[in-house]
Amino acid sequence: MNKFLGNKIAITLFIAPALLLFTVLVFWPIVQVFYRSMFEWDGLTEGTFIFLDNYKRMFEDSLFYTSLYNGLIFAVILAVLQISIGTVLALTVSDGLIKGRKILRISYFIPVVLSITVVCQLWLAMYNGEYGLINKIFEALGLSYRQDWLTDSKTAIFAIALVNAWQYMGYHFALLLAAARSIPEQYMEAAKIDGAERWKAHWKVTIPLMAETYKFCLVLAITGGLNAFANMYIMTGGGPGTSTYTLTYMMYRSAFRVGEFGYGSASAAFLVIECLIVTFAINRLIARDRIVY
Amino acid sequence: MKKAMSILLSSVLMFSLAACGGGNDANESADTPANGGEEQTTTLRIYAQYSDEDTKGYYDYAVAELAKEMPNVKLDLEVQAQDDGQKLKSYAATGNLPDIFNAGQDQINLFRKSNNILQLDEYAKKANFEEKMQPSALNTLYSDDQHIYAFPYAGNEFVLLYYNKELFEQNNVKVPTTKEELVTAIQTFQSKGITPMSVFAKEKWITTALYDIFATRYEPKGIKGLDTGETKPSDEAYTKAAQDLIDLVKAGMLPKGVTNLNYDQAAALFHEGKAAMFVNGQWEVEASTKALGDKAGYMYYPAPTAELYEQNKLAFSGGGSPGGFAVSANTKHKDLAAEVASFMALKYAEFKYTQKGSPIVATQVDKEAEKEFDPMMVTLSEDIPNITSTTAFAWGLSNAKFKAAIEDASQNLLVDGYSAEQFISDLESALK
Repeated sequence: MNKFLGNKIAITLFIAPALLLFTVLVFWPIVQVFYRSMFEWDGLTEGTFIFLDNYKRMFEDSLFYTSLYNGLIFAVILAVLQISIGTVLALTVSDGLIKGRKILRISYFIPVVLSITVVCQLWLAMYNGEYGLINKIFEALGLSYRQDWLTDSKTAIFAIALVNAWQYMGYHFALLLAAARSIPEQYMEAAKIDGAERWKAHWKVTIPLMAETYKFCLVLAITGGLNAFANMYIMTGGGPGTSTYTLTYMMYRSAFRVGEFGYGSASAAFLVIECLIVTFAINRLIARDRIVY
Repeated sequence: MKKAMSILLSSVLMFSLAACGGGNDANESADTPANGGEEQTTTLRIYAQYSDEDTKGYYDYAVAELAKEMPNVKLDLEVQAQDDGQKLKSYAATGNLPDIFNAGQDQINLFRKSNNILQLDEYAKKANFEEKMQPSALNTLYSDDQHIYAFPYAGNEFVLLYYNKELFEQNNVKVPTTKEELVTAIQTFQSKGITPMSVFAKEKWITTALYDIFATRYEPKGIKGLDTGETKPSDEAYTKAAQDLIDLVKAGMLPKGVTNLNYDQAAALFHEGKAAMFVNGQWEVEASTKALGDKAGYMYYPAPTAELYEQNKLAFSGGGSPGGFAVSANTKHKDLAAEVASFMALKYAEFKYTQKGSPIVATQVDKEAEKEFDPMMVTLSEDIPNITSTTAFAWGLSNAKFKAAIEDASQNLLVDGYSAEQFISDLESALK
């Protein structure tokens, strides 16, 4: 093995295809986004170099702040709901005393494999202000809490975030379940011998030992939230008005509805930087040292 | 022996590949003269609407006519996506535009800057297209630089405020002419559990049209005036119109959750007699008549005062803009593609007139209508010569930034917490 790792030609040869693909499909487009964000460009003609004018304009644009705020709301909701509920479900399913664990495991994962369009249509029907399931439940419970979930500019972003959180909770559940199962039994046994209750043992032993998985889940949830687009595109079209815009939606609007690819690239570039900062911060703050059992 | 075998296998492989290549050539042969001196067949790529029964009808009719008229032309259809022209722009960016494509105002403007669209002046002259146009629809032929980039077929279409006559009569509601009467109608219908007005406000072009209805009561140029720069958002008319709409929404004019209603849901409310009024283009005449028969009608837009009502009664929202079948500047078959594009436009208009019972077309149609005009369409045809002004649909606006802004802002007017001042400010930002 050491001999192989010392062979630089072999390493280069094996890394080259993946590196080439990554460069062509990811790195080069990102470079282009930053480069094009400094142009007044309609996507078809040459474009005019305007250096940082698109960024200046963006920081004066109220739509940018709406989009930024919505992205943050979305990210926080995803992180809190997906990770907390995912943890509870994972710890429950990992418990040997629970019956029907296989069915539960499959059920929790089903929404992940459904098309996002199907999920959005399902929730559109449930959110319907007149005859949607959610309002009907409130009605049946005798609560006068009927809402226009998606047409109220204040609640719409929360309602959409909940849909995304619900759909991909199963993914986080699967990751956390795998992490929980990989923790050697003897830690839990030791905790039990010391008199810890089941949930206390999870709190003190299992959860801290899953820190690296939490880090990964957090990066996924937060960058997924900041990048959100498809749910609002299908469910509200960014509306009412612009109340469910995110930076990705703003990029779509600028590039494809208005034809300002340069300005759209500026919001995309900001999004890339935002995601990188968040990922860097999470990596610095959580599970800095590798956990070895 | 091994060497001989490998040579043999290589030869077999080479011939197989050559045969595959030959297959490709056979596909291409549609573009080349067939053996025996038969007439040359050319395949043209076309990008046109073909997503529902309505749009399929137009295309199938035109293609059947094309087969009779130009049997040497085959069309390879690519269904137009409802994506704000995104796919078409991507095609243009990669130099892969279809030979013929359905283009609206914003695509024409963009593609003519990037030299992707063929200027059709000469071809139109050759086809006598201008002589075939309805004189009243010439605005749909020429772009603002006085050149032709697309062969139109739709004509000048309008935004109509439909109403259910029976519901108005049964509930003793006067067809409103003023804002006050409209508020009274809203209150009466609400008290009877009837939705006063249905709008598919999930689509932002219709919210723009709804705002334009009120704007044209004060300023007949409506949103088109803002688009062309003839008027400014800060003009009193636009603030007042926004405030009128906010007031009416607060009074309960629209159903709850209106910004999430799609066409099917909103139209169903009107067609099933659950909504008293409905906003859509004049193409809705056929569907509304089918659903409601003689009970369906359209009213002139109510105005803030009786005086303004009379003054701008025939100032309609909507209108035509340059658009229709355009030709790629990079097509190998410029002459033929232009000829086919003009033919398709003429046949689309012919289908609309003869089969759909709509006289609102861009070009003159020689054939008799097979379907009798609906009563509403007859009334509209009588109104058309007297129309004093039109504006534009959202897709006919030339300033894409303004278009996106007014679409978003007009939808915002239909929900709580958005003021007329914010609306004006958002439009001003877009027009800076």
